[in-house]
Amino acid sequence: MGDNNNVNLPPGFRFYPTDEELVVHFLHRKVSLLPCHPDVIPDLDLYPYDPWELDGKALGEDNKWYFYSRKTQTRVTRNGYWKPLGIEEAVIGRGTAGSNNKKVGTKRYFVFYVGDEATNNSGAIKTNWIMHEFHLSDSASTSTSSTSSSSRSSKRRPPGKIDCSKWVLCRVYERDDDDDGTELSCLDEVFLSLDDLDEISLPN
Amino acid sequence: MPENMSISVNGQSQVPPGFRFHPTEEELLQYYLKKKVSNQSIDLDVIRDVDLNKLEPWDIQEKCKIGTTPQNDWYFFSHKDKKYPTGTRTNRATAAGFWKATGRDKVIYSNSKRIGMRKTLVFYKGRAPHGLKSDWIMHEYRLDDNINDTNIHPSSTVMGEIAQEEGWVVCRIFKKKNHHKTLDSPVMSSATVTTETTDEMTMFDSIGNEGALEQIFQYMGKTACKEEETNDEAAATENDTNDDTNDNNNNNNRTSSTTRFLPTSLNMNMNNNFNGCGHERFLKLPSLESPNSTSSQNCYNPINNDDHQGMIGDDHYLPNFGFNHHDHQIMDSNQLMIMTNWTSLDRLVASQLNGQNEVSRQLACFNSNINTTNNGNHDRDHLQVPAAPTLRSSSVSSSKPYYHSAAQEYSNEMELWSTFARSSSSSSSLLSSDPICHVSNAPL
Repeated sequence: MGDNNNVNLPPGFRFYPTDEELVVHFLHRKVSLLPCHPDVIPDLDLYPYDPWELDGKALGEDNKWYFYSRKTQTRVTRNGYWKPLGIEEAVIGRGTAGSNNKKVGTKRYFVFYVGDEATNNSGAIKTNWIMHEFHLSDSASTSTSSTSSSSRSSKRRPPGKIDCSKWVLCRVYERDDDDDGTELSCLDEVFLSLDDLDEISLPN
Repeated sequence: MPENMSISVNGQSQVPPGFRFHPTEEELLQYYLKKKVSNQSIDLDVIRDVDLNKLEPWDIQEKCKIGTTPQNDWYFFSHKDKKYPTGTRTNRATAAGFWKATGRDKVIYSNSKRIGMRKTLVFYKGRAPHGLKSDWIMHEYRLDDNINDTNIHPSSTVMGEIAQEEGWVVCRIFKKKNHHKTLDSPVMSSATVTTETTDEMTMFDSIGNEGALEQIFQYMGKTACKEEETNDEAAATENDTNDDTNDNNNNNNRTSSTTRFLPTSLNMNMNNNFNGCGHERFLKLPSLESPNSTSSQNCYNPINNDDHQGMIGDDHYLPNFGFNHHDHQIMDSNQLMIMTNWTSLDRLVASQLNGQNEVSRQLACFNSNINTTNNGNHDRDHLQVPAAPTLRSSSVSSSKPYYHSAAQEYSNEMELWSTFARSSSSSSSLLSSDPICHVSNAPL
């Protein structure tokens, strides 16, 4: 795996999953041992690779890489480590799989440091590599809906059969490559603001 | 393994989860628009035909849905219609408003070969001139079938543009991101942030809710803005009539050595002065609002005919030089000295526009200024003012016709300037090419 060549789509179609899709479709099915079509995201197990090594191993699309990993507390790779930013976002289901406006998972942010984690800030060098790590939220795995006030860390294990602790889904990218094309260039912005200055002429 | 991934878009079927139609500009032009133009069938009805005059942007959004997945941008083919039967302008008015072009068209390359152009348009609600600008943006892509490897004569490029005013284009519309909204979004507010990472948060922060110009300044501090840094930047800084600039690079017959010399020197200069591409980018911004712009525009006119082809390369760059370095010098350490010079030059220009008698007097003053400078020890002055003719002097023979046609009656000036040129030809500085622009063009 690691590529989406087996998905036969016309030119222009790319893997651009929303956070919700990653959680609901991919992570949830993975954890539930349900078949996943298309089965494009590989397991890479325990963060063994530096981010620049992911190409060819993880599913790569538009300079973003996707892979499943086992949940762990230490995210150490060969040449560095992923440091948590302490940001935790709720992933809200907005429609697919009947999960309307319900929290389906959480998204944590990490930044990659080159160096030894033990030395921490003294020796390690911060990079532009960012990782989003998606977790299923407990409530998402059970059908008992909870309008929980988001990320409460006091997790009691739900009676459901799904082991949420096992897998996470990661999206890795290098910052500043994060342009989806639906933003104007800064030059265009200048022109746009200049348009305000003069009288609007006839449409042409 | 996926058994059957075939999708039929537009209603019935499903794009597999996680996949979106997100074509590159190259795919849009080379695959989809090329097939459309040549009437080849496209496997899937991914891109629909839209009559731009009949649909509002929010209707397009509905009509151009692909599957059921959420979308940020929508794609369609459109047929350009002329606004007037004889004219070249395109009618892009709808019932509720109109699309208005903004900025300059961007050249689209594929493997460093030019394949098409992109026009950016903004949707205004209402009727011109009282339209209300919306967040809807359209990128309109057109193929460039007349521009290949062959060298195109400038005038034929213009003809080509006209010929392309009709026919199919492929468009993408999207809503300009509203940064204000992002900050207030429930997702962000539900995020829990520990104190130690507040500074890290800033990198996820979008630009904020400042105006567009503030955004520019923010961008200048960063290294992003890839789009404008590609080599089509040259095209972006030239206006439409200068599409042939790119062709000049391939055209050895017409490209004089000066043409090649100038841009590199300019870059060197800029890099020396400001080690930051951000500044360079800023300086490259078009001189729309600059007081020089009128003279710059005029500069193009006399050279767009066959007699002065040799000049094309030089004159393309000169106006920009003037503008750029004008800004440079404001920030220069030699500020005071330079400002004085610029003031006198501005006076010179103004007087030229007002009357000739004044001119000679001013010129005389100016002349004596320069002479004392040259004789004295004011090296900085020496570099600043006479440098302009230096630039000219490298192409002085070919420039002659231009000068004559521009200002016969100012022949005394011409002498004056060529004197400068000779006296200071040892100077290699490219600064202050602006004065010559003023002088030679103001009479036009």
